[in-house]
Amino acid sequence: MSAPKTIPKDAQVMMQILKDMGVTEYEPRVINQMLEFTYRYVTTIIEDAKIYATHAKKSNVDADDIKLAIQCRMDQSFTSPPPRDFLLEVARQKNQTPLPLIKPYTGPRLPPDRYCLTAPNYRLKSIQKKVSSSAGRITVPRISVGAVSSRPSTPTLGTPSVQSVSTKVGAPVSLTGQRFTVQIPSASQTATTKPTTPSTPAVSNVLINQSLIGSKNILITTNMVSQSTGGDSLKRKHEDDDDYDAL
Amino acid sequence: MAAVQGGMVDAKDETDIKKEPTSDGFGNNHANDARVLTASPGSSAAAGNNKPAAGAPEEQQTLLAVLQFLRKNKLSESAEILRREAGLPEEVLDPKGSDSTGSGQGGSTEVDGEDASSLLSRVTLPTPGGAKAPSKAGEDQPDVNVVLSAYSQQGDPALYEVYYSGLKKFIESVLDCHRAELSQVFYPLFVHMYLELVYNNHESEAKAFFEKFSGDQECYYEEDLRILSSLTKKEHMRGNETLLDFRTSKFVLRISRDSYQLLKRHLQERQNNQIWNIIQEHLYIDIFDGMLRSKSQIDAMSGSLAGEAKREANKAKVYYGLLKEPEIELPLDDEDEEADNEEGKPKKKKPKKDSTGSKSKKQDPNAPSQTRIPLPELKDSDKLDKIMYLKESTKRVRLGPDNLPSICFYTFLNAYQGLTAVDMTDDSSLIAGGFADSTVRVWSVTPKKLRKVKTAADLNLIDKESDDVLERIMDDKTASESKCLHGHSGPVYGISFSPDRNYVLSSSEDGTVRLWSLLTFTCLVGYKGHNYPVWDTQFSPYGYYFVSGGHDRVARLWATDHHQPLRIFAGHLADVTCTRFHPNANYVATGSSDRTIRLWDVLTGNCVRIFTGHKGPIHALAFSPNGKFLASGATDGRVLLWDIGHGLMVGELKGHTDTIYSLRFSRDGEILASGSMDNTVRLWDAMKAFDDLETDDFTAATGHIHLQDNSQELLLGTYMTKSTPVIHLHFTRRNLLLAAGAYNP
Repeated sequence: MSAPKTIPKDAQVMMQILKDMGVTEYEPRVINQMLEFTYRYVTTIIEDAKIYATHAKKSNVDADDIKLAIQCRMDQSFTSPPPRDFLLEVARQKNQTPLPLIKPYTGPRLPPDRYCLTAPNYRLKSIQKKVSSSAGRITVPRISVGAVSSRPSTPTLGTPSVQSVSTKVGAPVSLTGQRFTVQIPSASQTATTKPTTPSTPAVSNVLINQSLIGSKNILITTNMVSQSTGGDSLKRKHEDDDDYDAL
Repeated sequence: MAAVQGGMVDAKDETDIKKEPTSDGFGNNHANDARVLTASPGSSAAAGNNKPAAGAPEEQQTLLAVLQFLRKNKLSESAEILRREAGLPEEVLDPKGSDSTGSGQGGSTEVDGEDASSLLSRVTLPTPGGAKAPSKAGEDQPDVNVVLSAYSQQGDPALYEVYYSGLKKFIESVLDCHRAELSQVFYPLFVHMYLELVYNNHESEAKAFFEKFSGDQECYYEEDLRILSSLTKKEHMRGNETLLDFRTSKFVLRISRDSYQLLKRHLQERQNNQIWNIIQEHLYIDIFDGMLRSKSQIDAMSGSLAGEAKREANKAKVYYGLLKEPEIELPLDDEDEEADNEEGKPKKKKPKKDSTGSKSKKQDPNAPSQTRIPLPELKDSDKLDKIMYLKESTKRVRLGPDNLPSICFYTFLNAYQGLTAVDMTDDSSLIAGGFADSTVRVWSVTPKKLRKVKTAADLNLIDKESDDVLERIMDDKTASESKCLHGHSGPVYGISFSPDRNYVLSSSEDGTVRLWSLLTFTCLVGYKGHNYPVWDTQFSPYGYYFVSGGHDRVARLWATDHHQPLRIFAGHLADVTCTRFHPNANYVATGSSDRTIRLWDVLTGNCVRIFTGHKGPIHALAFSPNGKFLASGATDGRVLLWDIGHGLMVGELKGHTDTIYSLRFSRDGEILASGSMDNTVRLWDAMKAFDDLETDDFTAATGHIHLQDNSQELLLGTYMTKSTPVIHLHFTRRNLLLAAGAYNP
């Protein structure tokens, strides 16, 4: 494939412009960049001008439309710094106030928090379920597999097996950005034998961020709230799908 | 003012006499003008006569001019009456407005030009005579003058060429000694006349004018002329703030009294009033008595966009001395427990004074007082730093022409021309680089790696009472040689470490200045104020304050705990490209694309010094360690040395062939190192350059400088790199020179 021997005309024009403006050394890609900019700019202006012409119910685009388009675009994208007299006036006002005294022993001197970037830019998503009537019980649903099924409205009677909780918690978990659900085989599941578990569920699905301090993790796992009524079956569906993710 | 008003009052008496024959006043413009002037103080009959005449454009102009004058002198009732009677529209008139309406009227005839000059002469005649009278009168009544000269500039654009060549012929015919001084007039006059033609939409005349005379200008104005050549329409001027400022500000020329007399006599005798008006409007001629300046002297000081500096601009007192160092007690290695204080006085450990401590107890008269500007107190960590500093400085190498420093170069590889800013900490332990891909990267130069502070959970677990708590808060798992800081959305053009090594500042093209913590390596604050690229930023020598300068032509002083700037330093005509603090933190020097350097007082925000002489935008500034001198480097390849106290140029170091991007004095001020785009580092003998200065009264008074051409003697060494432009220089505490740049094959 032979490269074209002659440079296209508009590239030649651009080279001439660069020469006229005194730019003698430049990388070859500069021509392409300048041409792209030119095309984009001219296209934008002409499109704007067409809009203005149709707005004024003219059939053709004329010089006034182009002038208006250029002016509007200038005020929007290619703004220039404020004029000198304005700056001098602003400076005069600003410079009249005396320099503020510095309070000693104030630690890192930063502006008020709303002007800093030190606030966390994430929010913890925690799903709280209604607490079951039997207090002090920690129940955790099994990770559900398969379709969502109906939920019995009776509260669970599963007795918490604390050991598994603690072991689960104690295990070195890599908490990096993963869902954390604890599964306890509920010993005394009466009614349903479906794999999809009954009720309960208080899953505290939290998206654990790396910077969360360790102690908080422990707190979450033991705070499982059980119980849910049929009322929020819809919500539960969501969560089950979320549980899915953890796998 | 009073004289003019007196004139008007006198004329008013004449109205009653002259009222009858006014009706045929149309043809006689001059008479009509006189009548309008006299009629305005409330004589309605005459005003009524003028009503039909108001339709003619020339009358409109005159009426507007008079209205403007009345408003300015607070004769509001008269102004109202005139306006009502003449049937003028409501809008308030400003000189610029009248200028454009004047231009909109199209070319008026010579008659108006003569009227303007006659009006002008009527205005200026009553004022007391003197060499400076015309310019003084011009300054007292700028509005009327501007309006009236709007007339005279309309006086045929085709004649501009004639005016200019006339002046050229005159200046070429004067004595040699005067010619150099009077030739200074050419460039500003040329630019202003060209801009007037463009502004008033006389495109073809402007082009012809430019072609004819642009070749005559000095070579160092070439860049400006190239920009001007592409400006052919009024719309082109709209966005260019620098040129608009140039048009409205006065170009300062310093001419001796004799030459000025010559010029004035010539321009006034031949009724060359147009060019005289232009000169009065756009140039400020600072006259001095005494010897004429030679061409070389003039060339050394000229080159900036606003001419030279007026003498008054450099007369304010500048406290260039250093602040006293606080007394730090060095912990002695032994006998901490010595207890003999019989009188019950607190134990006094004799502090180990070394040569760098200040010995004198007296206040240096040139130093600012300790409390002139509020400075942060010394924390314990700062005291420890100071002790380290004093210890290191005892091991400092004494430099001199026969003992040159060793140079260690840090080359940034694989930067692909993206390295845009470099800074090093004072103790040379960290280097930060700002890149065009908007990242900031910090490296540790010593074997000690960079560590982040532990997370809050882990911090709870450590023993806070242990001695090495500062080590324990660091998380060793995060140790690495370099850390990358992300946050900006544009190339990073300025970087500065804080003196206590806790923070680093970076300024970028996105208009913000960001403060990053070096303990957590995250961004703490984004200071938004400039809405345009910020070209440079620097922490003050004591921390807490920092200065930034950018494309919006101002430099701003900030404090880390205020989200808005504390001071705005406005005055430059073009972008502020370089900002540096004085060692005593009371002054800020800014270098700009308008080829001037200004020194600003932090306390008041006023500009206390203006230094002109560079022929290109300034990119490097350095204060000498004793605070007395300033060195500056620009794209013209010269390093200029300035005496801050007297406000004079004291040296010129020629040698570099390309832009100078970095300048640094050695720790005791004996050697000045300069790094440039021509891939070299040059060392200059600063001691010698500042040694033999003859600043006698004459020099100080007139600002005449006598520069010796001793660059060759002062050059101590040239060190070439392998195609690596040098963009940062740093002397360690022991006077080893470190340099940094990106390899650019």
